[in-house]
Amino acid sequence: MASLRTSALPAWLGPHAREAGGLAGLAFLGLTLALSTPHFLTVSNLLNVAQQTAINAVIAAGMTYVIISGGIDLSVGSIVALSGVLLAKALKADWPTPLALAVGLAAGAGCGVVNGLLVTRGRLPPFIATLGMMSVARGAALRLADGRPISGFEAGFRSLATAEPLGVPMPAWLMLGVYAAGQFVLQRTALGRYVYAIGGNEEAARLSGVNVRLHKTVVYAVSGLAAGFGAILLTARLNSAQPTAGGLYELDAIAAAVIGGASLLGGAGSLVGTLIGALIMGVLRNGLTLLNVSSYVQQIVIGAAIILAVLMDLALKRRQG
Amino acid sequence: MKFRAGTLRWALALGAALGVGCGGESEPTAASGPTIGFVMKTLNNPFFIDMERGAKAAAAERGARLIVQAPERELDIEKQMQIIENLIERRVDALCVTPSGSREIVSAIVKANAAGVPALVVDTRVDAEAAAAAGARVLTFIGSDNEAGGRLAGRKLVELLGGRGRVVVLEGIPGHETGDARLRGFRQALASAPEIEIVASQTAHWERDQGFTVMQNLLQAHPDVDGVFACNDMMALGAIEAIAAAGRTDRVRVVGFDAIDDARQAIREGRLAGSVAQHPEAMGRMAVEMALKALAGETLPPEIATPVEVIDAGNVAAADP
Repeated sequence: MASLRTSALPAWLGPHAREAGGLAGLAFLGLTLALSTPHFLTVSNLLNVAQQTAINAVIAAGMTYVIISGGIDLSVGSIVALSGVLLAKALKADWPTPLALAVGLAAGAGCGVVNGLLVTRGRLPPFIATLGMMSVARGAALRLADGRPISGFEAGFRSLATAEPLGVPMPAWLMLGVYAAGQFVLQRTALGRYVYAIGGNEEAARLSGVNVRLHKTVVYAVSGLAAGFGAILLTARLNSAQPTAGGLYELDAIAAAVIGGASLLGGAGSLVGTLIGALIMGVLRNGLTLLNVSSYVQQIVIGAAIILAVLMDLALKRRQG
Repeated sequence: MKFRAGTLRWALALGAALGVGCGGESEPTAASGPTIGFVMKTLNNPFFIDMERGAKAAAAERGARLIVQAPERELDIEKQMQIIENLIERRVDALCVTPSGSREIVSAIVKANAAGVPALVVDTRVDAEAAAAAGARVLTFIGSDNEAGGRLAGRKLVELLGGRGRVVVLEGIPGHETGDARLRGFRQALASAPEIEIVASQTAHWERDQGFTVMQNLLQAHPDVDGVFACNDMMALGAIEAIAAAGRTDRVRVVGFDAIDDARQAIREGRLAGSVAQHPEAMGRMAVEMALKALAGETLPPEIATPVEVIDAGNVAAADP
């Protein structure tokens, strides 16, 4: 499907037209900001944006898998809270840091597997299954933490947020690592091809012998895993795990994927696009603060940006037939 | 070509949105003096809007630039941290912060310290232990003595109930220093009234709708309740609606905290027994003045208490702001 659509585009863009569109939008946004404020286009501010984008971008990477497969995951924000609380409890219990990190990741992936089983075995619509998980995970996080934040970790763990190898903040490196791995799986493995196939036409994928149940479950596990990773970044950044953390993160993640060209109908989307989408959101938030735009107006601008991006994407598709 | 036209429209529309957003707001007027960044918990709560008003008035009088920013959600400490990072990039001369989390804010204050931006804390204290552990330096704390306010509320409720009865408490978010201090003060005041029993104490997360539902549930469990203390007015206003819905307005006396406009109106109408007034406008004003003093090289006292008082039917008319 993707090849049909892209064949109508100018040859020099090849198969990356959507990403190029997003990149052009990001570049224009950057240019506008660079001309409006001297504080935007500085090395330290760009690194600042990269670091601020990392959490949303990592969660959105998992969300992109789900959206390409034709689903949706509303539970990621709550999973961030639950994974963060479990991670914090493990750290507080003096477990070795790698083991505690594994606990956080496993908690996320575990919630994702449950989502996947509810969708594939329980035949629940993804919206409903993950809506339920959103509440369950939030409640579990509050219960486990007794409603209170768990804070104060040792420097080794916090270096995940504070270290700056080669002058670049660690969260930015980790974000790039997640995208490199995610892109490899999506483009170069059978799982990646199946995700597109399932999202494009689930029945056709099944008839071609794809184990749809298994791969859909894996897709939700990937989303949960990404949320667990986001929880690690957030907990290290705040030096605290809050059971109330991650509220509305699911909407930011969906927005990043959609701005990046993922279709909620499934079958279309890419990680590069989502990364650009997340960066557009991060740059917008950063730039609007630098320009001292009121926080009321910021919400309007960000909402308008999401709508515009998708309108443009639709217009592009229509014209190419 | 078609593709480029699409991208151009995307970019133009986004630029237009951005342009609208910045219209007239990009640079505050009266811009000769230093620039002060003021980070609120939220700007959806009248309390912080009053604080903003006081800060703006002081900045205008002193010829300082003021940048006021807040996250979309009151609990979103991570967005607060992003705003602080962005304001550091924006090269503000001083930062006033109302922390959404007493411990979590420490990482952001450390960043301000590292960038040489003096940090003042308003309304909610920074956790002393966490600040010491991270080496965070705060110039001063400006805010109400919440414990004294809690004691005032407790004494008022004791007086209203004639020294005997059953009381429920609506707490703020656990781990928030502000709510914890109010609760401590309230309990201290009740300790001198042995015939008053606190039959339940639950959080309604500072929010009006949760104040309503939590109170509804508490009324199911304790239909004979005589008094309510809510750690802020938003929860108190929710609670009086629930009490009214149960037809018990005449029998249950509610005391809130903050004396926001809606609460004063409810006091005038006899639906709310009282509320502890803080003076957010004075806090905002004082914060800006103190920041300017610090920038002028003056040493600040470690704490500046703004006054608290009980507003009830007797003085609500006189106390109108």
